[in-house]
Amino acid sequence: MGVLARRTGKRRSGVFAGQRRFVLGVTIPTIIYSGGLSLLSIAWAFALMFFEYSPGHTGGPLLGLGGNNPFVGLAHFRNMIEGTTLESRLFRTSLNNTLIFAFGVLPLNLGLTLPLAALIESVPGRIKNAFRAIYFLPVVTSSVGVALMWGHLYHPQEGLLNAVIRRFGGSPIFWLSDPRLKFLGVSVAMWAVIMAYLWQDYGYNMVIFVAALQGIPKELREAAMIDGANAWQVFRRVTVPLLRPTLLFVCVMTMLSSFQVFDIIQVMTNGEPRNQTRVLVLDIYVNAFRYQRMGWAAAASFVLLLVVVVVTVVQMRLLRTEWEY
Amino acid sequence: MATVDKNHPMATTTHVSSARRTLDWRVVRRHLGQVLLHALLVAGCLGTLLPFMWMIFGSFTSSTEIVRIPPTFFPEAPSLENYRVILNDPHVPLGRFYLNSIIVAVSVVLLTLFTSSLAGFIFAKYEFFGKNSVFGFILATMMIPFQVLMVPSYLMLAKLKLIDSLWGLIVPAAIDAFGIFMMKQFIEGLPSELMDAGRIDGASEFGIYWRIILPQLGPALATLGILTFMFRWNNYLWPLIVITTNERRTLPIMLTWYSTVHSQRLDLTMTVSVMVVVPVLIVYTAFQRWIVQGFALSGFK
Repeated sequence: MGVLARRTGKRRSGVFAGQRRFVLGVTIPTIIYSGGLSLLSIAWAFALMFFEYSPGHTGGPLLGLGGNNPFVGLAHFRNMIEGTTLESRLFRTSLNNTLIFAFGVLPLNLGLTLPLAALIESVPGRIKNAFRAIYFLPVVTSSVGVALMWGHLYHPQEGLLNAVIRRFGGSPIFWLSDPRLKFLGVSVAMWAVIMAYLWQDYGYNMVIFVAALQGIPKELREAAMIDGANAWQVFRRVTVPLLRPTLLFVCVMTMLSSFQVFDIIQVMTNGEPRNQTRVLVLDIYVNAFRYQRMGWAAAASFVLLLVVVVVTVVQMRLLRTEWEY
Repeated sequence: MATVDKNHPMATTTHVSSARRTLDWRVVRRHLGQVLLHALLVAGCLGTLLPFMWMIFGSFTSSTEIVRIPPTFFPEAPSLENYRVILNDPHVPLGRFYLNSIIVAVSVVLLTLFTSSLAGFIFAKYEFFGKNSVFGFILATMMIPFQVLMVPSYLMLAKLKLIDSLWGLIVPAAIDAFGIFMMKQFIEGLPSELMDAGRIDGASEFGIYWRIILPQLGPALATLGILTFMFRWNNYLWPLIVITTNERRTLPIMLTWYSTVHSQRLDLTMTVSVMVVVPVLIVYTAFQRWIVQGFALSGFK
């Protein structure tokens, strides 16, 4: 805290009082604001999911709960697990699609970004920055723009992909609108959306990997090469283990983002065809703001939170860091 | 004589053949490796840029040409007609939408830079009871997925009558836990003697912050500011929920609305996309080093 604090320890007025006022003056509003927004929101969401709530209905005195917004206890969750209503079936489909999306994105993303980062890192100076800048371009582009760009690419009549297919004599594919098409058991529309999302997002992980690779001392790699390892072995046995903390971070963040994907899917397909690309956040949004069923939406968002927490904890267990160098 | 990059992972030898007549295949292989490497990276760049080019060329394509089968990549009769249509469209006051996005983004940036640096300063340089718990609490709020908070946040805004107003986009964003964290890290690196010198000179604590610490924060503020700006500019879900009248829409929402209304006119849709996406690209190219660095840093919590 500085020299002044030690020397004038006995004086409680003046400097200290001023400091205390300053500290309190900043931290208290900060806590109230963050606490207010976050804690209150979480508590409210936690309450909402036990009710059937619509903002249009007049409810009881406390936050509009009760009255025409009746308490339903665990009915929402029971409906989600074993119900046969349309919204419960849509919920299960959405959850399923979200898991497919997230677990489809992660390996493809890692398989693309890690080798790419290694390639870029080995390129000298100026050019490396240029490559990095170009690869990162999609990350700063608005998701709506990305969705429209790729929608245009995938367009059945006017799109580039089908133009290429037609050139080679094939018949055009309805990438985003044919519910019958499947590849490896997953709908083609879902793959199309995954591709667009990967394109937008891979620059982010790649930049992180490049920075991490630069942080690995060259001497370690050189030592391994002197010991007779070739480039691939150096990569596998030296580089990758040292990247473990970064890998953990990247995996957790990538899964986190893919569970929360909304923009690009809503604009590209809006869940179609036949709800094959309907993901959980889209389901929550539609239920909350189109059908005004906020209790149900709150329950669904809680399930999302659970899934996110479980997946994150499992990843941290699996990729525990044991190495130091 | 070939220049040898000893640090190249594909370097297998540091020797160059001494006999000039024979071809040293190791050198050739290394060069081929370099060429292949660069070719792959360039191919990757082209792949990355392809959708952008498709969009830009599409915007210059006339409405008759864009529906032609097979579609052309380079428009045969490029024209600015689409741009003229959109700029003259009375239902699309582009200036208004740009203004909305700018107001929201700039306000949030200014607010969060102020609150983050102030709070980061407190957590970095002051000791007080419960400091770690409070900081941990603020960090924890960062971890909660937005989708859990969005419904109650909307209801809260409704109670405060901030729905369908740009304030509804600005006010909830005033405090940024990530910003506080980043500023704290940065300020911890500043020497504490600066503060003592300020106190000796009679400055108030806030004065120390304002006149001594803040000027030192240039690079950190720039990085955080640009990151925040990009995020707020491109933000989609929250403005979609909050804004309902057309004039108050921000650019991303306007884009969706326009593309739904004109779904048959891909050329017009691409043109509006260009107008929304390209300004960000220009800002990005100018500040590219800050931006990429900022994103990479945010990965090293």
